[in-house]
Amino acid sequence: MKKLLSKPYRWAAIYSIILTVTFAFTLVDTFVLPKSITNVSVDAVPSKSSLTASEGSTSTPSVGETLAKSDTQSEAVITNKSYQDENIKINIETVRKYDSNIYVADIQVSDASYLKTALANNTYGRNITAATSDMAKDNKAIFAINGDYYGFRDGGYVLRNGVTYRDTARSGDNDALVIDKEGDLSVVSEDEVSLDSLNDKGAWQVLSFGPGLVVDGKIAVNSSSEVGKSMSSNPRTAIGQISPLHYIVIVSDGRTSESEGLSLLQLAQEFKERGCTVAYNLDGGGSSTMYFNGEVINNPTSGKSIGERKVSDIVYFGY
Amino acid sequence: MSILDINKRNNDKQLRKTILTYLILSVISIVIDKVYGIFGHGVDSKSMTWMFLYPLLGGALMYFLIGRLIPHITKLTGYRVFFNIYNSGIATLTLGSLLKGIFEIAGTNSPYLEYYYMGGGVFIAVGIFIMLLMAVRGK
Repeated sequence: MKKLLSKPYRWAAIYSIILTVTFAFTLVDTFVLPKSITNVSVDAVPSKSSLTASEGSTSTPSVGETLAKSDTQSEAVITNKSYQDENIKINIETVRKYDSNIYVADIQVSDASYLKTALANNTYGRNITAATSDMAKDNKAIFAINGDYYGFRDGGYVLRNGVTYRDTARSGDNDALVIDKEGDLSVVSEDEVSLDSLNDKGAWQVLSFGPGLVVDGKIAVNSSSEVGKSMSSNPRTAIGQISPLHYIVIVSDGRTSESEGLSLLQLAQEFKERGCTVAYNLDGGGSSTMYFNGEVINNPTSGKSIGERKVSDIVYFGY
Repeated sequence: MSILDINKRNNDKQLRKTILTYLILSVISIVIDKVYGIFGHGVDSKSMTWMFLYPLLGGALMYFLIGRLIPHITKLTGYRVFFNIYNSGIATLTLGSLLKGIFEIAGTNSPYLEYYYMGGGVFIAVGIFIMLLMAVRGK
């Protein structure tokens, strides 16, 4: 070893190769190698508190129960920008504002069970990904957006359809979105509230991206609020709530000459103007995708070419 | 053969070459940060922005100080051992900082990052130990 270390270039050459290999491995491991941790259909079981809550519900179908596909779905009135049956009503409006194309979906449902989430390949894990539209089709979603891309990070609460997948809070001041069994949205700070306590309070979905855009009816971001220190306008995906079972979903195109994208403040203002009392920013950038009735509505792009990025999860409305 | 044996060659030229190499690596680190920033959609990372400090302060400045304060160690057999180990530490830390920057900009992280900092730190600690040993006993 000492002889090796004493040679002028031999050690440098060997260590350069070692560093190059470890560098490449770290990149591939982080961005490419899929690591399946839990299969939704086989291993995942709703947490005890979720099950208890579902069992206690008698008058209306609980969130935990699968509602049978209504006959009225086949009789739904569908256009290229709207859907309506007796349980789900969706209207999508395209707005040109801030030099950007903004897609605004106004969604009303008759029961919280129609607001769902799904994981790529029905599997929880790192780098387990699928296109939003593929996940939407697999789950027979009527309307879907990308979720929080939990699988790109090691921290942040992940609770989906009553099942806890990750109870590790992100370090620092980070907001999580809670969707409870009644379908109500709320924004909590991950470093102040444990996932167990959220579970006890009836959380059915928890997504971790953020930040919260509108909280308690007030805009919660300012012109310097950004995701991961991004100071520019970007494609965005966000969800808000106006009243019980009445939601607004906004997706904006960005990073193109046709559509600059929105800042978080602009996005928050859009929700506030539409009467949302709570709104939350989901994964944006190249992930931002709005799917409706078999088609991708927006123009997803990471800035190079138009095309969907594969992501970990979706939020969707459907049976 | 001890690391304190004297190698009669004059290593001044080698020292200047090392400092110049580290200065060039510092500039390359800055260029990488700027080029990456163009494609980062406005997202930046302190780890990537400041990674040039490893080759600049840990590399160029360190060897400059060695040339000024303890130039005699460059004539010792053990200098090459220190040189290889210490440089490996700086390279590992710089690469770790680059990786952390890439991950921060992408919005992700890796459990392996800490090994870069641990490995780099160990290399540098061992290198400095050998350097101090030579500085004190090699006079």
